[in-house]
Amino acid sequence: PDPNISPLPPGSHILFAQSGRIEYIPLEGHNLKKNEAKTALHLPEKVVIGIAFDCMEKMVYWTDISTPAISRASLRGGEPVHIITSDLSSPEGIAIDHVGRNVFWTDSMKDRIEVASLDGSQRLVLINTDLVNPRAILTDPTNGYIYWADWNRDAPKIEMAYMDGTNRRILVKDDLSLPNGLTYDPQTSLLCWADAGTHKVECMNPQQGSRRQLMEGIQYPFGLTTDGKSLYYTDWTRRAVVVVDRHARQEVDEFQPQKQTRLYGITTAHAHCPSGQNYCSSN
Amino acid sequence: DSTVGSSSDCKLCPCPAGATCAVVPRTKEVVCTNCPTGTTGKRCELCDDGFFGDPLGENGRVRTCRACSCNNNIDPNAVGNCNRETGECLKCIYNTAGVFCDRCKEGFYGDARAANVSDKCKACSCSPYGTVDKKTTCSQVTGQCQCLPHVINRDCSACEPGFYNLQSGKGCERCNCNSIGSTN
Repeated sequence: PDPNISPLPPGSHILFAQSGRIEYIPLEGHNLKKNEAKTALHLPEKVVIGIAFDCMEKMVYWTDISTPAISRASLRGGEPVHIITSDLSSPEGIAIDHVGRNVFWTDSMKDRIEVASLDGSQRLVLINTDLVNPRAILTDPTNGYIYWADWNRDAPKIEMAYMDGTNRRILVKDDLSLPNGLTYDPQTSLLCWADAGTHKVECMNPQQGSRRQLMEGIQYPFGLTTDGKSLYYTDWTRRAVVVVDRHARQEVDEFQPQKQTRLYGITTAHAHCPSGQNYCSSN
Repeated sequence: DSTVGSSSDCKLCPCPAGATCAVVPRTKEVVCTNCPTGTTGKRCELCDDGFFGDPLGENGRVRTCRACSCNNNIDPNAVGNCNRETGECLKCIYNTAGVFCDRCKEGFYGDARAANVSDKCKACSCSPYGTVDKKTTCSQVTGQCQCLPHVINRDCSACEPGFYNLQSGKGCERCNCNSIGSTN
């Protein structure tokens, strides 16, 4: 049979984590080439939650709650390497600043947000107050921001701060329930989230604050990513990757892996890095 | 590896029935790729996240994977709720603790297994003035804090009748009222 483990071919891909492996689906334009979906990495003993992609070195980074660890591997073929193994409890969300060459993550048991260089050195706690169940995190390298969501049942919220943890502020706290997934499109400056409690996908411009609903009645979203045109979310109930067209505001495709189990983090592996610079790239 | 050219190139997958397997190109290690529902691991020997058991009986009898069992004191939106083999609960909520979130955590009392969240674990809230060594823990069942001499109430917040000066932090003192001039 097909070995089903292979280095990523050229082009852009959707990567997602499912029970001990990281899968990829090639993108052709904005369409999923579902019949070319394959396993990029087998990590049979691990529980991979969050994944992120470094467009510069073509490396995938992930959080693993079973070790627990933060690890990376080259998608051109390469061994997984732990970059952080100490002082972690439940590392979940992960994001890369490809410009500043840093990795950010949330830990829902330590209740903090941390940063380190991509090799795991220079580790620093950025935020350790007013966090209960921090999960999704993402970066806006051009403007030097991080965004994250906390699904605290008593007071869920979406927040932002500078990449050094300063200038923290709450973006959304009303009409939120379980904002598991979060994504940002640098082209349109739109921050979108998928909520497993309100069963909605909503977006806003973080600078202008205008909020609008994209989808309602969705089932159980966990991870969320975008390629600029479509949104892709993993769904625990449907055990699938669901594709939503942002302009048509409707579901346009679905990918259901052969293996029937929950899907976790999802990210877009762009063939090329978006251009841009930030303070951290020179300091 | 079917490209070697001998009749024994292809071997049976060392996986449970129905699962396929693959050779990891770099390490030549064989891993199962489509483990039965609820299982994972190189040989389908582990349970998926949110489940526990020992599906191949590697450490004793076979225990099929079942959902984490934590007295309804875990959040279904959380990940890693229990140890995948032993089922030990790792993310107890509602101020519960224990292997199966079956007791109250330190500083709380009540019935961790109660059906209603409001009946579960309540804070001890021991009075710092009336409690021995200003302890913040209490009896896990009754909620009784350990009171200083002549201090009463579950939370050690009051003096016995005929005693005063809880604020001293050393227990309550006898009033010493003159029986002739006092009303009772």
